[in-house]
Amino acid sequence: MSVLIDQTSRVIIQGLTGNVGRFSARDLIAYGTRVAGGTSTSKADTEVEGLPVFPSVRAARESTGADVSLVYVPAATALDHVIEAFEAGVRLVVYPGDGLPVQDAIEMRAAAKANGGVLIGPNTPGIISPGKAKAGFMPSFCYTQGPLGVISRSGSLSYEACFRLTGAGLGQTTVIGIGGDAIKGLTASEALALLHADPDTHAIVYLGEIGGQDEYEVAAYAARSGAKPLAALIIGRQAPPGKKMGHAGALIGSHADTHAAKMKALNKAGVYATGTVTGLVTAVNAALAGVKLARARTA
Amino acid sequence: MLLTEHEGKRLLAAAGIAVPGGFVVRSAGALARRNVAYPVAVKTQVAAGGRGKAGGVVRARSRREAQNAVSRLLRTSFNGETPRAVLIEPWLEIQRELYLSVTVDPAAEGYVVLYSPRGGVEIEAGKPPARYDVGPAREFRAYRLREILATVETDAAVRERVIALARRLVTLAATRDCTTVEINPLAKLADGSLTAADAKIVRDEYAGFRAADIAAALEKARRPEPRPISRALAGNLMLVWLDGEVGLISGGAGMTMATMDLIGDAGGKPACFLDCSANPTPTGYRLAFELLDGEPKVKVILVSIFGGLTHMDRVARTMKEIMAGRRSRKPVVFRLNGTNAKRVDEIFAEAGLRNHAALENAVAEAVALAKKRYGR
Repeated sequence: MSVLIDQTSRVIIQGLTGNVGRFSARDLIAYGTRVAGGTSTSKADTEVEGLPVFPSVRAARESTGADVSLVYVPAATALDHVIEAFEAGVRLVVYPGDGLPVQDAIEMRAAAKANGGVLIGPNTPGIISPGKAKAGFMPSFCYTQGPLGVISRSGSLSYEACFRLTGAGLGQTTVIGIGGDAIKGLTASEALALLHADPDTHAIVYLGEIGGQDEYEVAAYAARSGAKPLAALIIGRQAPPGKKMGHAGALIGSHADTHAAKMKALNKAGVYATGTVTGLVTAVNAALAGVKLARARTA
Repeated sequence: MLLTEHEGKRLLAAAGIAVPGGFVVRSAGALARRNVAYPVAVKTQVAAGGRGKAGGVVRARSRREAQNAVSRLLRTSFNGETPRAVLIEPWLEIQRELYLSVTVDPAAEGYVVLYSPRGGVEIEAGKPPARYDVGPAREFRAYRLREILATVETDAAVRERVIALARRLVTLAATRDCTTVEINPLAKLADGSLTAADAKIVRDEYAGFRAADIAAALEKARRPEPRPISRALAGNLMLVWLDGEVGLISGGAGMTMATMDLIGDAGGKPACFLDCSANPTPTGYRLAFELLDGEPKVKVILVSIFGGLTHMDRVARTMKEIMAGRRSRKPVVFRLNGTNAKRVDEIFAEAGLRNHAALENAVAEAVALAKKRYGR
């Protein structure tokens, strides 16, 4: 199985007629995703990439039954588009954009909750269930089907990490980009809960960094009895304190934000944690060996 | 973006929150033209914390004392920042110092209100403040905050004043794009009223598109930065100088940091964090090379990009053009991967450039070149 998205998902793209929307539509279709169409506020009732363009999410849903929306609009109008999607009944909304005011991220998350939906983003490449479907712009060749659930705060790092995992024959159920901002649609602990409940996910890989509290949520999950084995890659050893490292969330303000403090908490909770991409495959193999060990014991 | 105290107090006053009636001066002479009742508080205006403890606030009983304090404070830098102004306020007879703040917190899924009945400079040393997780601003409930305050604040009149104030602060944060509004100390005066004796407000830089004052402040903050930084900001690149010799041109905060870590592991030191992902265009990359070519401490340039939305065939063509027209002789090492990466080798071959398949090999070569060429 996989979480949140699979071959039965029907995806629409809000902002389909823009450059990014068109490229992404071709890319999603090439991957086998069922793309049902898209919306445009200025170019409705046309066709783009062989897909119907609707004037609103409601119209798109009525006509196609889409349950997932990928939103490619600028930060200035993002909140309105995301609310529109949830209120039209879309179950999963992916907003990849960065530079979103935190006030709007708070409102997006509230809209998801109020409508019983899930938001992924902001500041993320999206989500992919390898071999089944993708809603995002991650490079497809980096992924293959397998037993790992992956959660990442960073888009670019998740490509590199999954490229290595795939190269080592370590495939993935679902790779979720939770994003680098402080207020997230789907948090690390919510993503963990989803992967925990997925029977095909045998081990979880967490890709994190300095700053923020997400890594402590991961440690808290790992310390629970019955938690799935976890491997983690935490980056940012060379980042100086007090300087924002690109991500709004990647800032060392207190001791808990530092690389050393996070590694310590994760190791203590039994996570196979590494501080370098070079060590990732080894750490994941160790976590998977933990799975085999546990199975051998119960057998 | 952290505001100075007087900028913050302007926002508070506009939201109907009581602040002392002060004014700003930029020279000691300016005080002579003012009619002031002494004593006054003379407060240096820097966007940095710990000012009170570091002697940035002075009590002056006369114009002479105040002028001396102004001259001295204008010459003194705090936390590496030299003040451009000093705030003069009537000296408050404070009965008790409280602490009240509203800030964005992931655990609250929005805003959180923090309150302590004992505020002031030692707030961090004391008991952690009481906490009310609000969430979105419209979820503020006075009765919820009242329940929480009942456990820490025994004075019912103060409690009600704090609740009214907290509601205004939450509204202010949400409507004016503030990620933190901190009042420390919140002064309880003899008549029982509460006044914001200080203000620490952080505004959301991403909200510049809808808040003209944020956009203007960002523009103003860019000017005094050293030229490469201001040029990078203007060109939509994220540049932070570090003290190493390997200049890193990268895309995406995660891969930039991961590559910096590897440079350190290979025995080198990164010269910068330079993330081009917000402007992955020929103009953006050309600017990145100009900045690093012009910086003497950069001995070698490592281009490490793993593109998703950034198409690597386009990046490769841009790199080819940049390398053909580049004057600097600093060596450049490439590791490009991601969307359309399989076309990179072909494009590079035409120009005699080489692309590393493995990030570790690219890092090793860059670090070795930095050491070899410059005898380190």
